[in-house]
Amino acid sequence: MIKSWKAIAPYVLIAPQTLIFLLFLIFPIATIVVVSFWEFTGYSMTPAFTFDNYIGIFTSQVTLGTYLSTFRFVGLVWLFTLLIGFPVSYFLAFCIEDVRLQIILFLVCTVPFWTSNIIRMISWIPFLGREGILNNLLINIGVTDTPIDIFLFSDFAVVLAMVHLYTLFMIVPIFNSLMRIERSLIAAAEDAGASGLQVLKEVIVPLAFPGIAIGSIFVVTLTMGEFVTIRLMSGGQSASIGYLIRNQIGSLQYPLAAANAVILLMVTLVLIFAIMRLVDIRKEL
Amino acid sequence: MLSQRRSLSFYLLAAFFGLFVLFLYGPMLVIFILSLQGPDGALTFPVRSFGFHWIIALFGQQRVGDFVGSFQRSFLLGVVVMLVSVVVGLMAGMAFRQRFVGSRVIFYLTISSLIVPSILVSLGIGIAFSLLGWSTNWYTSGLAAHLTWTLPFAFLIMVGVFNRFDRSYEEAARDLGASEISTFGEIVLPLIGPSLIGVALFGFTLSYDEFIRTSLVSGGRNTLPLEIFGMTTNVTTPALYALGTVTTVFSFLVITIAFVAYQIVSQRQK
Amino acid sequence: MTKITRRKLIQTGLAAGAFVATTRCAQNPAPLGTPNNPAQGPEVNTNQIADVTLRMIGTGVSQINEIKQKAEEDLGFKLELRALSTEENNQIAITQPDQYDIFDGEYFSLPLVVPSGNLQPVDISRITDFDKIVPIFTTGSLYDGAPVNTSQGTSPIRVMYVQGEDSSEFATEATGWATLIPFQYNADTLGYRPDLVGRTIESWAELFNDEFRGKTSILDIPSIGIIDAAMVAEAMGLMEFADKGNMTREELDQITSILIERKRAGQFRAFWKTFDESVNFMSSGEVVLQSMWSPAVTAVKSQGIECVYAPLKEGYRGWGGGIGLSRNLSGIQRDAAYEYINWMLDGWVGAFLGRQGYYSAAPENARKFMSEAEWAFWYEGKAASEDMVDPFGKTLEKAGAVRDGGSFEERMGKVVVWNSVMEEQVYLVQKWNEFIAA
Repeated sequence: MIKSWKAIAPYVLIAPQTLIFLLFLIFPIATIVVVSFWEFTGYSMTPAFTFDNYIGIFTSQVTLGTYLSTFRFVGLVWLFTLLIGFPVSYFLAFCIEDVRLQIILFLVCTVPFWTSNIIRMISWIPFLGREGILNNLLINIGVTDTPIDIFLFSDFAVVLAMVHLYTLFMIVPIFNSLMRIERSLIAAAEDAGASGLQVLKEVIVPLAFPGIAIGSIFVVTLTMGEFVTIRLMSGGQSASIGYLIRNQIGSLQYPLAAANAVILLMVTLVLIFAIMRLVDIRKEL
Repeated sequence: MLSQRRSLSFYLLAAFFGLFVLFLYGPMLVIFILSLQGPDGALTFPVRSFGFHWIIALFGQQRVGDFVGSFQRSFLLGVVVMLVSVVVGLMAGMAFRQRFVGSRVIFYLTISSLIVPSILVSLGIGIAFSLLGWSTNWYTSGLAAHLTWTLPFAFLIMVGVFNRFDRSYEEAARDLGASEISTFGEIVLPLIGPSLIGVALFGFTLSYDEFIRTSLVSGGRNTLPLEIFGMTTNVTTPALYALGTVTTVFSFLVITIAFVAYQIVSQRQK
Repeated sequence: MTKITRRKLIQTGLAAGAFVATTRCAQNPAPLGTPNNPAQGPEVNTNQIADVTLRMIGTGVSQINEIKQKAEEDLGFKLELRALSTEENNQIAITQPDQYDIFDGEYFSLPLVVPSGNLQPVDISRITDFDKIVPIFTTGSLYDGAPVNTSQGTSPIRVMYVQGEDSSEFATEATGWATLIPFQYNADTLGYRPDLVGRTIESWAELFNDEFRGKTSILDIPSIGIIDAAMVAEAMGLMEFADKGNMTREELDQITSILIERKRAGQFRAFWKTFDESVNFMSSGEVVLQSMWSPAVTAVKSQGIECVYAPLKEGYRGWGGGIGLSRNLSGIQRDAAYEYINWMLDGWVGAFLGRQGYYSAAPENARKFMSEAEWAFWYEGKAASEDMVDPFGKTLEKAGAVRDGGSFEERMGKVVVWNSVMEEQVYLVQKWNEFIAA
């Protein structure tokens, strides 16, 4: 009796979660795939099997431009979150020796994460606007005579807001990896005469690599499907694939939106699996 | 020589960290200041007068929208998502303590729930519901969308916890003749208690803040983030910022409560 | 591993497709108006109207809590408002009929909403004050020789009537069955900040003027934005249209390439989707000249900032909103909905919205609830004899001010095109996305 329970236990225990994912992840995605072959008019969609939606997407110049724009955002946001996230994690992990202080500083970094993303996003608007704090400051100290427009409703504003929102997703996994590095390894390297820079390059970065990879997975997926930040911070002027899909949904072109979503899914999965080849997530938990 | 260089890099890094914190909190400070304006306040600087007008206005009748109702919905949804995530995540974590057929597939299925772009989940659940002729609601389709987001986190945390779990306590209990159930209740559960609070907190806040996955499936009534987004396009007064300030304060309260609970639970274990 | 999931995915997908297709077919109702559709028996009045709650969807324009309160007070049943963007409003009307009882929408959305069969035609005989509704909606002509009589686009009269009780096809002449009962409407044009522009704006062409590079905005709703763009292009002499409300593919190609060229040249500061966004753009000084809706202008003014709703020589773009009934309303719920419509035409709401610059469908009724001075200012285009105050108590205009564009006849009479749904709607949206993505 006990033995047979032991044999089926994992299956019973995993069943609820698997069921939820089958129902609410796999089934909906399958629906999207099916619908992406349907036909539509301005107000309804009808079951069909047409490649028109895909042909339309692959022959439109907008598609390429939109993907390039999306990749540019993904690339820039990834780069900046990494450039900011790594030194911050390094500082927390190696420069702060008091554990209590370490926890407090770490919490300081994570606290904004608990505030509504949209609120954090729009908080930039009064800061960056034509009559915003930054422009007033620059005019007052004489850097410029006229307000600088590029701060708000621009690609700059989009990247800034996304870096602001997502850097934490880079910091946490990197910090986690750094904390696991045996301090004796570093000491050994230093004893062997390695310079600080060499230690960083030869010991710390390679060992922090899994953290960087996991952080990158987070940042890339969060940015790939983004449309809220892009809509609000670019004033509707910049393109991203998520925003395009959202617009098509708004115009009731569900099959077209579905086809775009399928392509987005493929592209994202390719990117993520490329990153995953470099790291075994299960080992890093 | 070595210590000198170190101290230089220390100060540089400390300065960098300081700037980062400023970057994180600066804009929120702006919101905070702008929410504390008098009745003649606007969405941008300059501040004309200070007061609590907009904070108070938030709890009264508004011109458009329903902040209190959407907050209640988000809170309730957050609690349900939290409970489901803890229970289902714990079960899944337990399952992954053994090897079993299909565990790899399920592991990657869970990961993909995390990495599928959120808009796909929302669109997919929305279309699926509408084709099945079901109406979308924050407590049905909305709940489903939230679970696809919180469960992977709960699962990954639990797998991580059990990876580091010391089995010797359990084995000792079993050797002393404890049943499977009492071993679980009296040994395993107390040991992983603090992590469960972590999962709960994570589940609640991820749900409470979720926007994109909910955006197409909330049905007739908005959750708080959707209401806030609606307000960014429907409101022309600092009420919007007041809402930001109030929800931030609320989040701080939740964290503090969770933190205290964590402290108490882990203290008890000692 | 990935292979397995992919195969599984495809299998589930196919199964789902088959399932979905069958349910679709099963759902597909027999043509409406067949004998299968039970005749409506006399309705039993059970005195339960107080228990009724009507769910209303609409844009932020009229989903105002003050109106809800007053209606609940006067009518004795409950209303639940939901403020949406124009796009979401149409989307829900078409795709989620069970989410609303009353649709407060725009006439131009009807060519999309009515064929979905989600609205039930309104029985005109149950509308007490139907004869007091302005003729723009009921006959299509305002006064002899008014430009609005021959306006382009989805003018309300083209979609006002359906052929019968169960029809979802438009009728070309008056029948006893209406799609929407009009509620509020206006003549839209460009708004600007006189303090930052420094001169009078008299033509749509100014929107693309280099002088305002980086300081203009246009609305990001394809069906409306494209018409504003067409007004500009026509005013600049760049293009001519047979019908701005029903463009051909070639015309859409050409207007989009003009828009893209202007966007690349940095003409626009940002795009807006709801009228409050346009308020924020204007009052924060980000934008000095943009296409705007009337309450947005009054909202800017109520913050103490000067804003002009420019009467332009080429004429206005008109829009009209009205109330429709959801298909799933019946019995006492439907009675309540009719009571709401009659209440809405009765004048209190008309006066309330009139103080923001909208026109009421039944102006004579609205007049009963307005002061002489208010009526003279908002409808007759006369100088304000006292300060004009908005419904929320903020002063909009000092005594002596005159409404931009003048009287009701002058403004509505000069509507030359209406917000529209075109035959090439799908192509329009595609081109518009190109513009946004450019």
